[in-house]
Amino acid sequence: MTAMVKAEGVHKSFGHVEVLKGIDLEVASGEVFCLIGPSGSGKSTFLRCINHLEKVNAGRLYVDGELVGYRQKGDKLYELKDSEVAMKRRDIGMVFQRFNLFPHMTALENVMEAPIQVKGQAKAEARERAGQLLERVGLAEQQRVAIARALAMDPKLMLFDEPTSALDPELVGDVLDVMRDLAESGMTMIVVTHEMGFAREVGDSLVFMDGGVVVESGHPRDVLTNPSHERTKSFLSKVL
Amino acid sequence: MTTDISKSGGSAPKDEPPRSAPEAIRAIPVRHYGRYVAAVLAIGVLVAIVLAFANGDINWNAIPDNFFDDRIMKGVRETLILTFLSMLIGVVGGITLSVMRLSKNPVTSSIAWFYIWFFRGTPVLVQLFIWFNLGFVFEYINLGPIYKDEWSDFMTPFLTALLGLGLNEAAYMAEICRAGLLSVDEGQTEASQALGMSHNKTLRRVVIPQAMRVIVPPTGNEVINMLKTTSLVAAVQYYELLKYAQDIGNSSGATVETLLLAATWYLIMTSVLSIGQFYLERYYARGSSRALPDTPWQKIKANMLSLSNRSGVR
Ligand SMILES: Nc1ncnc2c1ncn2[C@@H]1O[C@H](COP(=O)(O)OP(=O)(O)OP(=O)(O)O)[C@@H](O)[C@H]1O
Ligand SMILES: [Mg+2]
Repeated sequence: MTAMVKAEGVHKSFGHVEVLKGIDLEVASGEVFCLIGPSGSGKSTFLRCINHLEKVNAGRLYVDGELVGYRQKGDKLYELKDSEVAMKRRDIGMVFQRFNLFPHMTALENVMEAPIQVKGQAKAEARERAGQLLERVGLAEQQRVAIARALAMDPKLMLFDEPTSALDPELVGDVLDVMRDLAESGMTMIVVTHEMGFAREVGDSLVFMDGGVVVESGHPRDVLTNPSHERTKSFLSKVL
Repeated sequence: MTTDISKSGGSAPKDEPPRSAPEAIRAIPVRHYGRYVAAVLAIGVLVAIVLAFANGDINWNAIPDNFFDDRIMKGVRETLILTFLSMLIGVVGGITLSVMRLSKNPVTSSIAWFYIWFFRGTPVLVQLFIWFNLGFVFEYINLGPIYKDEWSDFMTPFLTALLGLGLNEAAYMAEICRAGLLSVDEGQTEASQALGMSHNKTLRRVVIPQAMRVIVPPTGNEVINMLKTTSLVAAVQYYELLKYAQDIGNSSGATVETLLLAATWYLIMTSVLSIGQFYLERYYARGSSRALPDTPWQKIKANMLSLSNRSGVR
């Protein structure tokens, strides 16, 4: 299998604060890749680097074999134009902790917006597709609409940043079900989550991050039941 | 097709079962003697003023006689046109300036900053005089092959008035728009960009529509202010309501009467606009303030099952 995402020594600082201190990892195509770690460990930042919402300071990040945010010619890097960055983001869906649905639009309009505005899809076509997607995710709730909105662009990679953390407890299961269906359909997914149950059942690999580095990685069942690092152990003992 | 996003059905709590009603309180209210005194004083002053005007040498009939005078009507029309066009320049300029101001390019944002600094920092009357008198500095206006004319032919009183008011307004609108753009949650921009929308599309489709709820109510106030401010252009020889009223007053000798007439017309226009403003503010306050009585308009809104009023967040 080819790598959908590949990170080589990714560094990211905000001012003087180094948040990512050299991340190396590979996400295979079709894989469900879970990212866990304590608050402030840089999980969201790493996720946002993948679709260039944040600029990487050092190291290389590839999505589907292409460098994120830059073009390499010889040993020189050229920054991509905004339009080129936008073009690449089409293929990457992102689901936020706080949904970030467009509040001035209906659920349907939220899902139709990007296909019409970005892909130039015809309105009727977009409407029909949006209807199907909303049906697929089961309507009714903000985060599922947000997932449908991301899927409407037919991404090859989906990023989830703690998608269930801001939900009422009784809604968590439904969203996880949608994500599970999506995983079964073969979507490549990177999921930042505190839902260890989901990671164990659905995840293909799992990475534990702390302090801006990858501490431990492996199959979710192995890492979760048999962590080899002290830091992983103490983190898991707190969340499990 | 619309989706139900809300979690709470919002059914009203059941009425408490009727208990034996407690005795109603019948207390003697506190007397506010100070209020009576103040009211009597205020009424006294009012009566004095009315008497003074009634006994003054004012030809009251001159007001109704000239109320629908052709020149007054023309003045009203000019005032409204000037208000509308100046606000148009102000709004378009304001949006442009606010986007420039928020731009990451230091040159553009500095230019916007400087513009706002200058136009907000100087009185609009002074600006009007400057526009009016620029003819002494530039004899010709020369835009290369596009346009060439003598300055005084180009800079008519109308254009002086329009530029003076519009460009000044743009500076104020810029600050209003900027506050509006900043009020939109950053997550909205991120979500939009993550979907692959360009910077411009994000602004047009996502940020500006949401900024409107912050921008529109103060803009309504600006319109009302602008209506009154247009009277300043009488000073640069543009004929609008005040200027026509002054002319009539000077020729007929009924100076105060025609000024009062003009004031009445301004009052009528600002009152109409204020009613509009009331509904505008109520409309944009929905969701964020306590329950307001339903207007017909609100009932229509409530029936439109949109995400914004269903999620009940804002
Ligand atoms: N735009 C920013 N400017 C400055 N500092 C930032 C910015 N974004 C994140 N940080 C800092 O980077 C660190 C890592 O943040 P990040 O959001 O990636 O953590 P996280 O692992 O996602 O944590 P959480 O579980 O709380 O979401 C935090 O200390 C945060 O304060
Ligand atoms: Mg986070």
